[in-house]
Amino acid sequence: MSAVLKPKAHFIVCDGNEAAARAVTLAQVDMVAVYPITPQSSLVEYLAKFVAEGKLDAEIVDVEGEHSVLSVLHGACLAGARTYTATCGPGLAFMFEPYLRTPGMRMPLVMTIVTRDTLTPQSVWGGQQDAMSVREVGWLQIHCETVQEVLDTTIMAYKIAEHHDVMLPVNVCHDGNYLSFGATRVELPDQAEVAAFLGKRDVNWHAALDPDRPMAIDPLTGGSGGPGPALFVRYRKGQCAGMQNSLKIIEDVHAEWGRRFGRYHAPLVESYRMDDAEYAIVTIGSMTGAAKDAVDEARDRGERVGLVKVKTFRPFPVHATAQALANVKAVSVVDRSVSFGWNCGPLYQDVIAALQFAPLRPPAMSFIGGLAGADITTAHFGQVIERTAAMVKGVAPGGTVWINEND
Amino acid sequence: MATAYNTLAFKPEHCDGCNACMTACVEVNNAGSDLLNSRIQIVADQDNAGGGFELAMCRQCGDPKCVANCPAGALGKDAEDGVIEWDGSKCVNCLLCTVGCAFGGITYNASAGHVVKCDMCGGDPACARACAAAGKTALKFITTSRIYREVGDLEDLFVPGLSGCQGCNTELIMRHTLRRVGPETVLAAPPGCIPGMGAVGYNGLTGTKVPVFHPLLTNTASMLSGIKRHYKRQGREMTAMALAGDGGASDVGFQSLSGAAERGEEILFIVVDNEGYMNTGMQRSSCTPYGAWTSTTPVGERGQGKTQDAKNMPVLMMMHNCAYVATASTGFMEDLYDKLDKAIAASKHGFAYLHIYSPCTTGWRFPSQENIEVARKAVETNFVMLWEFTPATGLQLSRSLDEALPIAEYLQVLGKYRHLSDEQVQHIEASLDRNVAFITNLTASRSSRPAHAAAGM
Repeated sequence: MSAVLKPKAHFIVCDGNEAAARAVTLAQVDMVAVYPITPQSSLVEYLAKFVAEGKLDAEIVDVEGEHSVLSVLHGACLAGARTYTATCGPGLAFMFEPYLRTPGMRMPLVMTIVTRDTLTPQSVWGGQQDAMSVREVGWLQIHCETVQEVLDTTIMAYKIAEHHDVMLPVNVCHDGNYLSFGATRVELPDQAEVAAFLGKRDVNWHAALDPDRPMAIDPLTGGSGGPGPALFVRYRKGQCAGMQNSLKIIEDVHAEWGRRFGRYHAPLVESYRMDDAEYAIVTIGSMTGAAKDAVDEARDRGERVGLVKVKTFRPFPVHATAQALANVKAVSVVDRSVSFGWNCGPLYQDVIAALQFAPLRPPAMSFIGGLAGADITTAHFGQVIERTAAMVKGVAPGGTVWINEND
Repeated sequence: MATAYNTLAFKPEHCDGCNACMTACVEVNNAGSDLLNSRIQIVADQDNAGGGFELAMCRQCGDPKCVANCPAGALGKDAEDGVIEWDGSKCVNCLLCTVGCAFGGITYNASAGHVVKCDMCGGDPACARACAAAGKTALKFITTSRIYREVGDLEDLFVPGLSGCQGCNTELIMRHTLRRVGPETVLAAPPGCIPGMGAVGYNGLTGTKVPVFHPLLTNTASMLSGIKRHYKRQGREMTAMALAGDGGASDVGFQSLSGAAERGEEILFIVVDNEGYMNTGMQRSSCTPYGAWTSTTPVGERGQGKTQDAKNMPVLMMMHNCAYVATASTGFMEDLYDKLDKAIAASKHGFAYLHIYSPCTTGWRFPSQENIEVARKAVETNFVMLWEFTPATGLQLSRSLDEALPIAEYLQVLGKYRHLSDEQVQHIEASLDRNVAFITNLTASRSSRPAHAAAGM
């Protein structure tokens, strides 16, 4: 029997940057603000091209810096537009002021972070330090493993962000160099089906700058005495509620995506060969592919190792993580970034915090690799697995291991 | 309709008794050559031992005694232009009107055989034209009533009770400009005095009747770009307007402002320049002039105010080739309104930048009732130059830079310059001369070309 293609399936070969740009085109956004930065530049070039070719009927605003990128989108969003941009590293740092403000205004923007290590040392290569540095600001942060996942997740991000129970901005992250420039076969969903999936945009029902319904946006709030402090707390709590609501919405949206388009991506965390796993490694982003290969090799040797990939990093899926790791006796977490204050990886911090909610408190170790574009190979993951297995056998967990230190 | 009328204003200190006004009056009224027949009379000031002149003519009173005294109904105030009109067909020559007038404004003229009075020449008084033509500034026809008549009925789109300082010039600018722009507006008020006085509101309440928002201090022009572009894309007419302070425009917000201007975003960007961060306690901005005291350029043993000249924001914006750039002052409201209208129109097709100087009673240290006078002095000394620019016309002066008052007349009324040394005043004078020459050259570079052509050179 020959393989039957789905009637409207359309395949192309593209890299992660093009996949994101195609997703944005399929999401039929109204406005894109762009500023080039390595390794994101080709993404906004694709968008400019798609607009110039008439494939994307959107206003494209070439601004003078990332600070204005996000600011233009703030204005557009308050006027009712579905919006998009992408940045990374220094660009993300430069837009930090409006970035901080976005979730508080409950603006459902979608922005790709093509992750890049932060300065300094001067570096233009991949690493997740930029995304991790903004993890407590109130944006949702979702990390992709493959180019296909970049495309699918970028579209899904609009449905998640614009859900009235969420109304928060979403960062879809893909690893600089590895996903941004790694080309693979990707299935493009049908435009009409994407439009049906996303539904009508409704982004400024709650806060608008519209002469037809005049209101003050972001008047001064707070101050001692009067109604200010209580009002301020209400806003903050509302933001936290939106964040927690999103956990379920992310799951629902991924499930619907699977039903409509036939691709089921794990929404919060993915458990890989965890059913009978005695110990586990935890990964994030594109490193997961090599890690899965290493797990397979170890399994072939009879090791009872599994893998948990964190896709949704903010809000952190505390209970999903605790549940996924409920039965293991040791955990290793591999980060592509650093938490300076803890001398470990930031994902590691969150995982050990989540393990407070697991029935066992397995020993855990932090591994940091892939900084500044370095590769984390299957062999590297083999070493991680070996060290984790040792913990199961009673070897005490050690301090943070810097994977590429001796490459 | 609001009632306000154009009027003739006489400045006795500028009058030298040249009689040009009276000569013009008898001429237009075919009253021969006898200046006694002029309906405007410049007479010696009997109360002033040092000489000088007084004006005797009709004031077109709001509560005219001449009209009240007239038993024949021959006198009446025209509701449209405010002129008190005399109807010869009804006059009974009783002269009771002349008894009622305290200004010598309606008098019996023997050669005419009846009373005569000023009729304002139908709205273009010959006397004022003659005074100006003679190079004098004693007699001016003030036409600001247009503003009140046109704008007075427009809704003030800010709420009452904004908490500006006493005598705040910025509040005046805000209320005048927004009502003119109208309700189909989205207003950006970046952090500063304007939201500080409550324009964006507090704790869930708004201070404005149009959609209003706090941008960041840094991103006013960018946010407005996004708003305007989305509405334009939808085919919706509206004005994207900023009322920003000089600090947010010239310092930390300059990048986004420059970017939006370069892109030709269709924005009406009004800068209210009070020469510093007055809302946060009067700190220095790059628009603070040389020598000025601020709380971050204090005066003491080793500090004597700001040591650098002000950044010339309107010139910088002109160099972006904006659709419209102008400077304005509340000391010259007609000019301000004229420019505001042009800026609104320009904002429909490009970036319009209006830089309005706004003396700050609190931060500049002068009595609050002096605000308009300070604004006027700044212009009359050329410290502030009024001009406008479009790409087609280049820079054009709105007011002559000749015959400026000495800069000391401006500096001495402001507490922030109280400490200035002679050397500092000399620095300010030298900078002023350079600035005047610079602006004059920009004017000349445009107008000289056709002049050369006409001269056949």
